[in-house]
Amino acid sequence: MSVTIEQSRLARITARGSDLWRYRELIRNLVMSSLKGRYKNSALGFVWSLLNPLGMMLVFTIVFGFLMPDVRVEKYPLFVLTGLLPWNFFSASINAGLYSVVGSSNLVKKVYFPREVLPIASVLSQLINFLLAFAVLFVALIVFQASFSPWLWTLPFVILIQTVFSTGVVLILSTLNVFYRDTAMITEVVMLAWFFLTPVVYSVALLPETIQVLGVALPLQRLVYIFNPVASLIAIYRDLLYWGYRTDVDFFIRTALTALAVFAFGYWFFLRYSERFGEEL
Amino acid sequence: MTVVRRPAVEPGQPVIELHDVSRSFRKHRDFERSLQQRLVRALTRRRPPIDVFFPLKDVSLRIETGDFLGILGPNGAGKSTLLKLITGIIPPTTGDLTVNGRVCSLLELGAGFHPDLTGRENIYLNGSIYGMSRRAIDKRVERIIDFAELGDFIDTPVKHYSSGMYVRLGFSVAIHTDPDILLVDEVLAVGDVNFQQKCLRSIELFRNRGGTLILVSHDLSTIQSVCTRAIWLEDGRIHADGDPLNVGMAYLESMAQREHEHTQVDAANEASRRWGTGRIRIHTAELCSADGQPRDYFHNGETLHIRLHYHADHAVSGPIFGIAIHHQNGAHVAGPNTDFDGLVLGDLQGDGCVEYIVPALPLLEGVYSLTVAIVDATNTETYDYRDRLSQFRVLRGAATDRYGLVALGGHWQLSKINTTSREAMFQE
Repeated sequence: MSVTIEQSRLARITARGSDLWRYRELIRNLVMSSLKGRYKNSALGFVWSLLNPLGMMLVFTIVFGFLMPDVRVEKYPLFVLTGLLPWNFFSASINAGLYSVVGSSNLVKKVYFPREVLPIASVLSQLINFLLAFAVLFVALIVFQASFSPWLWTLPFVILIQTVFSTGVVLILSTLNVFYRDTAMITEVVMLAWFFLTPVVYSVALLPETIQVLGVALPLQRLVYIFNPVASLIAIYRDLLYWGYRTDVDFFIRTALTALAVFAFGYWFFLRYSERFGEEL
Repeated sequence: MTVVRRPAVEPGQPVIELHDVSRSFRKHRDFERSLQQRLVRALTRRRPPIDVFFPLKDVSLRIETGDFLGILGPNGAGKSTLLKLITGIIPPTTGDLTVNGRVCSLLELGAGFHPDLTGRENIYLNGSIYGMSRRAIDKRVERIIDFAELGDFIDTPVKHYSSGMYVRLGFSVAIHTDPDILLVDEVLAVGDVNFQQKCLRSIELFRNRGGTLILVSHDLSTIQSVCTRAIWLEDGRIHADGDPLNVGMAYLESMAQREHEHTQVDAANEASRRWGTGRIRIHTAELCSADGQPRDYFHNGETLHIRLHYHADHAVSGPIFGIAIHHQNGAHVAGPNTDFDGLVLGDLQGDGCVEYIVPALPLLEGVYSLTVAIVDATNTETYDYRDRLSQFRVLRGAATDRYGLVALGGHWQLSKINTTSREAMFQE
């Protein structure tokens, strides 16, 4: 009995997968039209993908590099950029993905297609933006004579892990946002907190190693990584691009497994509730 | 509840199968959506009664490959819920649903067009919404453009399109996705008459290819001319299933029956629609078939007897009886009376009946109302006037006409009038 259930579940997953594959062209088109739409009516067009991180790098360099010299980190602009780009990718994915289903209510109410196409496409279009911005990063790496890690070839995997993780979170949030529009409001605040709890503009070394909470010594630096997959991801990016260091394999694998778990849960959650989208929107 | 969808038709299996499918909706209250209200409810432990209604109740239906199925039913019968279940926009609440084949809905033409993209780009976008691959669209794009008759506009953003162009492009993409199952709502009111003809032709092609069509319409004649099978859906249940002619008749008779009941309810406020001095009154007007049976529906071409039963306490000299027939839309179709017909009635007293006989009813399908009146010989005193006293329905019968209110009964022929005689006519 249990065997047949398992088989049918497997069959359902593969059927869903092939359904999604059939709609790959839709994902492509949604990504393209969102990219086109983003820079419509702007004079500099996609150059903004490059200027935006440069501008932010400048701001943080002035604030932390000159106004607060205590927190100075060597080659600070490069340090900021290697954290800021992945963070921007993550936060832009969340902000766009949150509205991916609600914003396409017209389509969802009228035509059938696998609904997960929408959040997936919104994350992928952010991914393309991120990759474009990488051009800036590589110029900066050369300008600041950064040491290239011999492990740089693992970078695509890191980006893949981040994409998987972001997609998982977006699948959950875009579903919740259909039922409770409060999700968007809450997410806004959470993302702000998340930004400051992630060592993007500061180094984790600046944090005290342990803190005393109610008489218990907590290893703060380790906790940041344990509870914050984005912090782990940014640490890996920095290992490869800033420190020129090889990431510890176990750390890498732990981060990858967390991302996969979030993605699997997100997908399950999305499928479970997405059939009600047609009536809720 | 299980839902199975396969992207291709399975040989030997129905394309669509519903087994005891029900669908319920909660009557939405806005406040239920907010988290705050849910928290308040959870804390106060007050659960509002859940208000549920069932647009579809235990519906079982098998649709085979090549069926052209018409769905008849009044508003709120569950027709659009059924279509939404088949397209997959909503799942059934209980029951099993199987769909084998690609479903394409012509209900929402151009849904998903992006206003800033050009017509051509939207063909790709829209095609992919229907699950087509890039190569498949590449192969069809020229045919789609041709069919939509957009010419140079194809490279203009669709936000500059007229609504007609928009729908034409939508239809063209939809029909070229090679669907196995087409869902159509009402008559294809797409574009001008020419384009509608083209749509109908492409649906004929679709039929020849072995496609399955589901058509929702209030217009019985469309269903009878296009479909091979019909179901009558009402109150979320299938009341009849079978040949479009039989199902259509059953449906119409039930509708006529309901209208009849409706008219009786209306009798209460009848006073305002009746006036006159009352020296002679029509107490009943009967519509009868050739065999003298009162009825409230007639087929076109049938013999119709309209009997006006009168009563006069005192003798009334030379009254004129008349009737008026109005179409549902208010058009005054006919107004015969005894005076025009040269019938002199003399002195009438007590009870009696005046009859108007239509040998072959020229009216076309529709709902008509009957007004009756008696006036004096000089048409200066109205004895009794009863506006829209009763309603009757005309069903399709002998006449092959489909447009307008009446069948003129004429015939067509090819006449040999040569051009020289025409010129002669103009010179006159």
